[in-house]
Amino acid sequence: MAHRGVVTGTGAVSALGRTPADFYRRLLAGETAIRPMTAEERGVMQATHVARYDGFSPQPEIPAMKARRFDRGSQFAILACQQALRESGLDVAADPEAVGIALGTGSAGAGALTEFLKVLLLESPEAAPPFHFPNTVANAPASQVSIELKLYGPNVTITQKDPSALNALLFASLALSTGRARAMLAGAVDEWNAYYALGFDRVGALRGAKRSSGIVQGEGAFAVMLEDEESARSRGARPLARLSGIGTAGVPTEPYLFAPDAAAVERAVRGALEDAGVAAGDVGLLLPSRNGVSEMDRVEAEVVRKIFGRPPRTIAVKDAIGEMAAAGGAQLVTAVRAIADPQGLVNGGPRRALVNSFGAGGNFFAAILEPAS
Amino acid sequence: MHKQRRVVVTGLGAVTSIGSGVAAFWRSLLAGVCGIRPFDLFDPTRYRTQTAGAVTDIPDDFLSAADKRRMSRADRMGLAAAREALEAAGLDASREDPRRIGVILGGGTSGLLDSEAFFETHLRGGEGRPSRVLNHLPDAITDRVAQRFGFEGIKSTVTTACSSAANALGYAHDAIAAGLADVVVTGGSDVLARLTYGGFNSLRSVDPDPCRPFDRERKGLSIGEAAGILVFEEAERARRRGAPIRAEFLGYGVTSDAYHMTAPDPSGAAGGRAIRAALKAAGVNAEDVDYVNAHGTATPQNDSAETAALKEALGDRARRVPTSSIKSMIGHCLCASGAIEAVATVLTVESGEIPPTIHYENPDPACDLDCVPNEARRAPVDVAVSNSFAFGGNSTAVVIGALRP
Repeated sequence: MAHRGVVTGTGAVSALGRTPADFYRRLLAGETAIRPMTAEERGVMQATHVARYDGFSPQPEIPAMKARRFDRGSQFAILACQQALRESGLDVAADPEAVGIALGTGSAGAGALTEFLKVLLLESPEAAPPFHFPNTVANAPASQVSIELKLYGPNVTITQKDPSALNALLFASLALSTGRARAMLAGAVDEWNAYYALGFDRVGALRGAKRSSGIVQGEGAFAVMLEDEESARSRGARPLARLSGIGTAGVPTEPYLFAPDAAAVERAVRGALEDAGVAAGDVGLLLPSRNGVSEMDRVEAEVVRKIFGRPPRTIAVKDAIGEMAAAGGAQLVTAVRAIADPQGLVNGGPRRALVNSFGAGGNFFAAILEPAS
Repeated sequence: MHKQRRVVVTGLGAVTSIGSGVAAFWRSLLAGVCGIRPFDLFDPTRYRTQTAGAVTDIPDDFLSAADKRRMSRADRMGLAAAREALEAAGLDASREDPRRIGVILGGGTSGLLDSEAFFETHLRGGEGRPSRVLNHLPDAITDRVAQRFGFEGIKSTVTTACSSAANALGYAHDAIAAGLADVVVTGGSDVLARLTYGGFNSLRSVDPDPCRPFDRERKGLSIGEAAGILVFEEAERARRRGAPIRAEFLGYGVTSDAYHMTAPDPSGAAGGRAIRAALKAAGVNAEDVDYVNAHGTATPQNDSAETAALKEALGDRARRVPTSSIKSMIGHCLCASGAIEAVATVLTVESGEIPPTIHYENPDPACDLDCVPNEARRAPVDVAVSNSFAFGGNSTAVVIGALRP
């Protein structure tokens, strides 16, 4: 299933930069958005660190009056998708039915949901603010984007643990290959939420004082514009990279347990390589799933050694922005920019990138991107 | 491109307020039984309305006591429906390649009811049971279905509010057609929760009495809960193994209204795009459509906008095609509505029996459809459309067909 589409634009709104260029530069410079939690953030949790986007403002892109209508996740997503659309140069109005969106998320709607429930549960159902209810749905960000950018094409939101961004990318590529759309914004969005954090802390997912293995939560939105290659080229677009393969694997396990299953990791990675029709030696850049869950990180490293021998050049994106569904989007944006950058990281060697994204509940995804020329 | 692989339905499962198990559900649908009534999942006295389509019988005896303690209500309903569907399909997981069997469900509210209890305890300064804390994340049910039945293929959960399950069916279809899987367990399970009950009440979208789709005096929706599971299978493979093929999933259309977060486009243009895209993907014409399983929520805005959308897509035929809303019996099962309505649509295509729209008394010129009022009807149905429209302007239509040689 080669020719799954080309990437013609990228978007990034995160603690490590509010544009893809800034994000990529600061990532490569070794900066990190991970910081100690304040006492208020930490509350009763054992978690100690977080990667929130402090000081985020949706201005100037979204005027203040208008921005109030959007929850935090929607604000992130609107900006990131606007960036990807602008970079792509695509004219949506020329054929709005041909342009859609697929976003992954693990937390969208959290802020509105907890605000609404707080009033409903502590005061009374009559007092619950109707204003918040429409934004409690996880598809609010993607749908707000579709309204803002006037997209009439496919519109879905996907939640399947950490690999939700690659899952959304797969949906987007299917939308192109089935002719449902000619261009799809694909990526992921997350907002940090104190109650959700408490939940993940309670189920043992967060790294902290009592737990050396676990994730640090982040937030932000990342998107790529994925287009049918022929249609992108016929409108004169200059693709940044091509999505050439996706592999998936599932392991039957409890929804919040990690399954450190080397066979599943290998099946996802080899699936992506096979789908792309390339050999391990053709990969020059690895965006690992590595997120601080020791057993999972160990198994990933083991499988990478098995498949690649000497591991390719590696950028651990989650060390810089934390873990969340949106981190998969950050890995994608990083891969695209590295491939498109002539002075880039993978200069001189093979310029294909492998993006790994593995999550709790036995969910494994991998993708291969390559130069579009 | 390789030749498109066709997708058939080989198993169905249902847990609803008018019966658990597909046979009981179908009997009630054809008899016009209403499952919308007072309920006790939480105390509704301080809400504007007090009725809902609550499930009273979850056939989950096959789960151990420890399983049940760990699982949300939505997990248990979803697993019960999945078990029924897999048994009906005659799929023996031990004789299959588990890597070729996926699970793609729609979800949203999911196990939120349990998380709300934890949240309330926490807000009041107590400590809730950690096992219940993340039940509202909809992907848990998907993982649990794969876990229970040992499936190792692609897993995904689509969360687009009230069109979640319809989109899951579409994704499942595309995954099989593209060769990513041979079998996908699809559909959804969604349960009543204070958030959605209070939310729709806060928007004043809920009828205090059982809802009356397409009726001039309709006052809003009734909220329900359900699990509907369908086993999708690649057609050739299903034939080879002698599977009980119930219907073909011909295709689907998914579009953005790009109009408003909660209001439908009253012109019908937006909904019409989804239906037209579905017909095109399915390779059928408007004249071929024999039945429409309507979104039919019974809000004043939806039913007239849906009527306009059907006219956009089907032209004159819209007024003649039988178009019923089973929400009049089971309420709006939110993120599972597209799943349970697809189960009903498969049964309609299979049997030629059309479930009615009950509580229908007063014709509305803005909804001048043949809504199969109050009594089930027999008519041959070769091609049926099921609509799902959602908050966010996520509009989806699926097309289900009788078996073709």
